[in-house]
Amino acid sequence: MIIPVRCFTCGKVVADKYEQFKSEVQQGEDPAAVLDRLGLQRYCCRRMLLAHIDIIDSFMAFATSDVVEGV
Amino acid sequence: MEITIINKQDDSIHFLVEDVDVAFANAIRRTMLTKLPAMAIDEVLILENTSVMYDEMIAQRLGLIPIVTDLDSYNLPQDCECEGKGCSLCQCTLTLEVEPEDEEVVVYSRSLTSQDPKIVPASGNIPITKLAPHQRLIIEAYARLGTGAENAKFQPVATVAYKYVPVISVDKSKCNLCEECVKICPKNIMKVDGSTLSTQNTLDCSLCEACVDVCEPGAITIDSKKNAFLFKVESTGSLSPETIVSKTAEILKTRIQAALDYANSLR
Ligand code: SF4
Ligand code: SF4
Ligand SMILES: [Zn+2]
Ligand SMILES: [Zn+2]
Repeated sequence: MIIPVRCFTCGKVVADKYEQFKSEVQQGEDPAAVLDRLGLQRYCCRRMLLAHIDIIDSFMAFATSDVVEGV
Repeated sequence: MEITIINKQDDSIHFLVEDVDVAFANAIRRTMLTKLPAMAIDEVLILENTSVMYDEMIAQRLGLIPIVTDLDSYNLPQDCECEGKGCSLCQCTLTLEVEPEDEEVVVYSRSLTSQDPKIVPASGNIPITKLAPHQRLIIEAYARLGTGAENAKFQPVATVAYKYVPVISVDKSKCNLCEECVKICPKNIMKVDGSTLSTQNTLDCSLCEACVDVCEPGAITIDSKKNAFLFKVESTGSLSPETIVSKTAEILKTRIQAALDYANSLR
């Protein structure tokens, strides 16, 4: 859905690093170098960012601002 | 017991402890993980949520946000005068209210407003959810102290690990400077300097013994020091690494004392 707050394996906070990672990789930088710079040394934390897909952006297409009463 | 600090950063500390046994090293590690209290959001009142994410998902994300902890001004709920009902000595309220105008916004942890200016999210850049125009998120969250034994979100440490101190020795008479070990070592420990093989940054060695395997038997030996451990403590941001280590020592001491007192009372 949206980037998980912590690494599933070790518990390091990864969510606050995702936007920088995404924009720098989009600018053509090497993901490995960006991850090193962000201080994610363990492969458990690195895969959190590398393997993430923001599905929330697809959900946003169907967003309404109505209050839907619980079913 | 002797402690040498090797490297200290804002969120992590690397140190060497000498003259202790494995049981003690592991007791320290486990105390940090399960007995050292830290703050986290534990109860969330969702007043309005029209975002695309369910209430439960938002509450779960809020719980995982590390909160800067002030161990001196807050009590664990079970030790508090209110007997765990929740009062200003054991609970802190954080509120969040966002309604974007005509564009999509990402709601970050920095938008949480705390009742106590000291109790704030350790990082303000954690995305909580995304809101489309005119969607609303109004939340009241209650942070309290807890321990890792109860829920991992209360752990003040992300990782705490220790390893043996590596001792690398090379039998120079068996070495023909083929550089195989230099190439295979993942930590770049081995180095050929002119006509001798030398080692550098030996504390980084992971004791993987890949270098031993590529060379003839007995040329390289990887050993470890007895009764010395290299610790690496990584904080989530809720407590400083120094506080984590010193408070852990205090907690461990009182627990050992309690066990001793109990054992003595049986006599
Ligand atoms: S692999 Fe063995 S022989 Fe080759 S450089 Fe290393 S120690 Fe010397
Ligand atoms: S044991 Fe592994 S890390 Fe240590 S020097 Fe040998 S190859 Fe390098
Ligand atoms: Zn990790
Ligand atoms: Zn109380």
